[in-house]
Amino acid sequence: MSKSTLQDVSRRNFLTYAGVGAITVGAFALAGCSIGGGSGGTGTTTVRFAWWGGADRQKAYLAGLDSFGQQNENITVEPEFGDYNAFQERMTTQMAARDVPEVFWIPSPAVLTYRDASIYRDLEGIETLDLSAFSAAEIDSFRLDGVLDTLPKSMFSPVLRYNSTFMEEDGVTLPEDLTWEALSEFLIDYTKDNANGRKGTTYGPYHDMPFESFVRQHGEDLWTKDGKLGASVDTVAEWIDWWETLRKAGATTTVSEQDGIEASWSLTGNKVLATFANSNHIVDEALAFPDYTFDQRDIPAFADAAAGYHFVYYSRFAMYARAEDDRVDAAGELMSFNLNSLELLKLVGLSAGAPPNTSLLDEYEPEATEVEKKVIAITREIAATERRDRFEAPAGSGNWRTMFVRELEAVTLGDRSVSDAASNFVDAVTAEIETA
Amino acid sequence: MAILDRDVQATAAAGKPLEPAPRRRRAGTGRGRRITRHAFLVLFALLMLYPLIWMIVSSFKPSNLILTQTGLFPSEVTLENYTGGWDSLGTPFTTFLINSGVVAVGSIVGNLFSCALTAYALARLNFRASKLYFGLTLLTMMLPFHVLVIPQYILFAEMGWVNTYAPLLIPKFLATDAVFIFLMVQFIRTLPRELDHAAMLDGAGPFRIFWSIILPLMQPALITTTIFTFIWTWNDYFGPLLYLTKTKLYTVPVALKSLVDSETQSGIGIMFAMSLVSLIPILLFFLFAQKYIIKGIATTGIK
Amino acid sequence: MTLLNRRSRGAGENAPQAPPPDTESIVTGRKAGNRKPTSLRQGWVAHIFLLPWMIGMIVVTAGPLIASAILAFTDYDLLSAPEFIGFDNFTRMMEDDRYWASVGVTLTYVVVSVPLQLIFALFLAMILDKGIRGLAIYRSGFYLPSLLGGSVAIAILWQQLFGDSGLVNEGLGLIGIEADSWLQNPDTALWTLIILNVWTFGSPMVIFLAGLRQIPEELYEAAEVDGAGKVRRFFSITIPLLTPIIFLNLILQMIGAFQAFTPAHVVSGGTGGPLDSTLFYTLYIYQEGFVNFDMGYAAAMAWVLLLVIALATALNFIASRRWVHYGDE
Repeated sequence: MSKSTLQDVSRRNFLTYAGVGAITVGAFALAGCSIGGGSGGTGTTTVRFAWWGGADRQKAYLAGLDSFGQQNENITVEPEFGDYNAFQERMTTQMAARDVPEVFWIPSPAVLTYRDASIYRDLEGIETLDLSAFSAAEIDSFRLDGVLDTLPKSMFSPVLRYNSTFMEEDGVTLPEDLTWEALSEFLIDYTKDNANGRKGTTYGPYHDMPFESFVRQHGEDLWTKDGKLGASVDTVAEWIDWWETLRKAGATTTVSEQDGIEASWSLTGNKVLATFANSNHIVDEALAFPDYTFDQRDIPAFADAAAGYHFVYYSRFAMYARAEDDRVDAAGELMSFNLNSLELLKLVGLSAGAPPNTSLLDEYEPEATEVEKKVIAITREIAATERRDRFEAPAGSGNWRTMFVRELEAVTLGDRSVSDAASNFVDAVTAEIETA
Repeated sequence: MAILDRDVQATAAAGKPLEPAPRRRRAGTGRGRRITRHAFLVLFALLMLYPLIWMIVSSFKPSNLILTQTGLFPSEVTLENYTGGWDSLGTPFTTFLINSGVVAVGSIVGNLFSCALTAYALARLNFRASKLYFGLTLLTMMLPFHVLVIPQYILFAEMGWVNTYAPLLIPKFLATDAVFIFLMVQFIRTLPRELDHAAMLDGAGPFRIFWSIILPLMQPALITTTIFTFIWTWNDYFGPLLYLTKTKLYTVPVALKSLVDSETQSGIGIMFAMSLVSLIPILLFFLFAQKYIIKGIATTGIK
Repeated sequence: MTLLNRRSRGAGENAPQAPPPDTESIVTGRKAGNRKPTSLRQGWVAHIFLLPWMIGMIVVTAGPLIASAILAFTDYDLLSAPEFIGFDNFTRMMEDDRYWASVGVTLTYVVVSVPLQLIFALFLAMILDKGIRGLAIYRSGFYLPSLLGGSVAIAILWQQLFGDSGLVNEGLGLIGIEADSWLQNPDTALWTLIILNVWTFGSPMVIFLAGLRQIPEELYEAAEVDGAGKVRRFFSITIPLLTPIIFLNLILQMIGAFQAFTPAHVVSGGTGGPLDSTLFYTLYIYQEGFVNFDMGYAAAMAWVLLLVIALATALNFIASRRWVHYGDE
């Protein structure tokens, strides 16, 4: 008897919760919908803007967009951000559904993949897009196959970064004439001689930018004008060999120590003297080891390196091809803001690279931190060099790094010879590009 | 959260009369044995929880020390990950917690409603296609979701549901979580058929039987469904990532993943701190819900 | 209601000695024969109960399901229109070394980690089912790993445990053994993920706990009076009555293990390395579909997986006739 009442009570309770829950949820879902649909106020244009990064960058850009909104009261920017992988997953889905943000950053391996999917809008003739800071030659260098459909949002180059504190403690300096051979010898000697058990460098054949420079020094292109892999098997083998010599001499951290082929900076930053990196990485990575001073310089070169091997990598952004006409001007305004705003640059700093707009860089310099000044210095140094054309990675090459990592894993585990790994890699990438 | 409070009160009230009924026979014979068991459990729990403890300690370290100074005893302690993390995406973290709560509670209601109906029909009613339907249900569990995501996104985008909670909630009301149908079917099938027959003899139809007999008796399955739905939706990342692009609508996992840059690992301290904060509601929910498991059984009268 | 209570108790007492179930009733829970008169009416009623499910099936699930089946026979890069290519995707699988690597990894994972996790979960559920002080706290504690299991934090935690200078190697160092990173060794990397799976045993444990709660107390008391020992009670009461739940957990965990994605994605950063030793089947699907923009191939692989899981599940259902005893028979 008492049991049966309890049974009723508990059932009724259960249903009450369910009911209350349903109503609450309904209310919230509606609230969600109204937030969702609420941006169509009178006279304002909405522009979706997608980028990637971590907490610091998100916050900086949101602040920048706030001030953009104050300057352009008729434009509402809807930010869409996430970390690098999340950004790409979302972007891929949105592209398949033809529901892409009006302005978006482009992940480096996908520049031509996205182009081939025709999601870029031609940027020629958009009135609100202010390119006055760039010379005609510069604008030409931004074009892909002669079409101005992307613009650089930031730029960087490969560098050799070193721990000046270690240099001083161990009483060493980098060779005056920094060739690959000289660096190799130096790193091996350093590892042998220093009293603190430090290593010369991390195992780094995975680094794509110095690899590209190495290839260009051989007079080859990493990616050719007609969308093929330009690096020859011999060059790839020579590159891996250079690293294997260091690794076998004990001058690099082991794959185990650095947690994989792709070295973890936080695990290795206090164990090695020098690392290859992109010129902008120092901004974030120096923060992990505040007790040390880091500096960077141009990467090594062969005595007979091919002319014009230096290059600047442009990290790009673009406007969506199907952006509605009434949003194009607003999107152009937003792109101009990204290219030319000192205020935005002050917020985001140089952690994602230097601005391609050189006058902006000059204006920013007095405000730059000590570390950022090192980024600016190398950016100027490389900008002054002679540089031959560089071409983007073709569609289908999107996971060439993954393929490279697999070959390198096989080499370091002793499963494969360097020459086999090099030819496997070249074959695999070529095959992927052909099927795409 | 108001719902939770209500529940707690209701539980306390309904639980009272049953309190003095310990479930198992007078456990164990000696104090020694009890102590060994506790010792074992504590040791085991510590082993299980080491990673969590490490995370808690790390969340109080300055960001740059988390990965470089990995011991359990930090040389420097700071609260900046908590204070700075709360607002780091321009929207207070409370918003994300509330959003996640709404999605979780909505999903629970949806799953309980739709899966219980479906499971009862599949487990107890006689009709020609029941085998086929059951098979189909199981089949939908077997296709990896990565190939379903894009067609589904296209569907929901067409319906204009992007940036609403509809793509996350409405499918739950339509019994698309086959796992729970299967779970409930298995639980219903542990209940004796004689119950149905007796009720049928008393003149009850399928609805009455479902309502007055099966539903109360399957409370453990309902609670299990509640717990799992809560936790899975609380942790669900891919769906919210695709459908909710406005920061104000983010759920906790999407917010958490936006904190860490996968390249530089910056923001890790904030991510740890906010992960821990977001564990608190789940823990509270779990502590509460499992109390309910015990009570739920006691009231079903099946023992 | 009092009648009901008495009835259920009676039924419970009979359950363990129940005769082996007849095969017809296993899959649907329907007893063969002598229900014909009601079945027509029940057909209508059933479809009313099934209304939400049917709408969901037709609107939300069937479309994408069929779409993916069609895509399996196409070359689809997500960006341009799919192109019909017959069985090319399937013949490509035959010659794809990475595909077979992923099959090997996944099968090992299913066969090793599912039984381990279930035994572990049942063992702890048994301990925690006893009236013990602080039960709620232990149970929540043991569930915590499952809450963390899919989190981004896991990658870092696993590095802390199994990395080159992780906790495990520090422990080994104390007894004079030097070891490298367990995550970077292709022979051990998969095992760290199996440990991760066993570590997140919370879900099956909760299901077991709920199942144990369904077992009528009177049975134990009766058995105790009859002089049955602990072990005997476990094997003749607990296990037989728990078989539907064990079966449920087995199927759920098996399907889950076949589809395992998050652990490898998080721990290896999505590469499936070192040397493809943690390249789970679904991780490969993801790489081909989302990274390589080859959704046609991904869909083909997904459907092969579906068929394999369906086959494994069907075999389990057939085998279950021998060992699973339902209360409704």
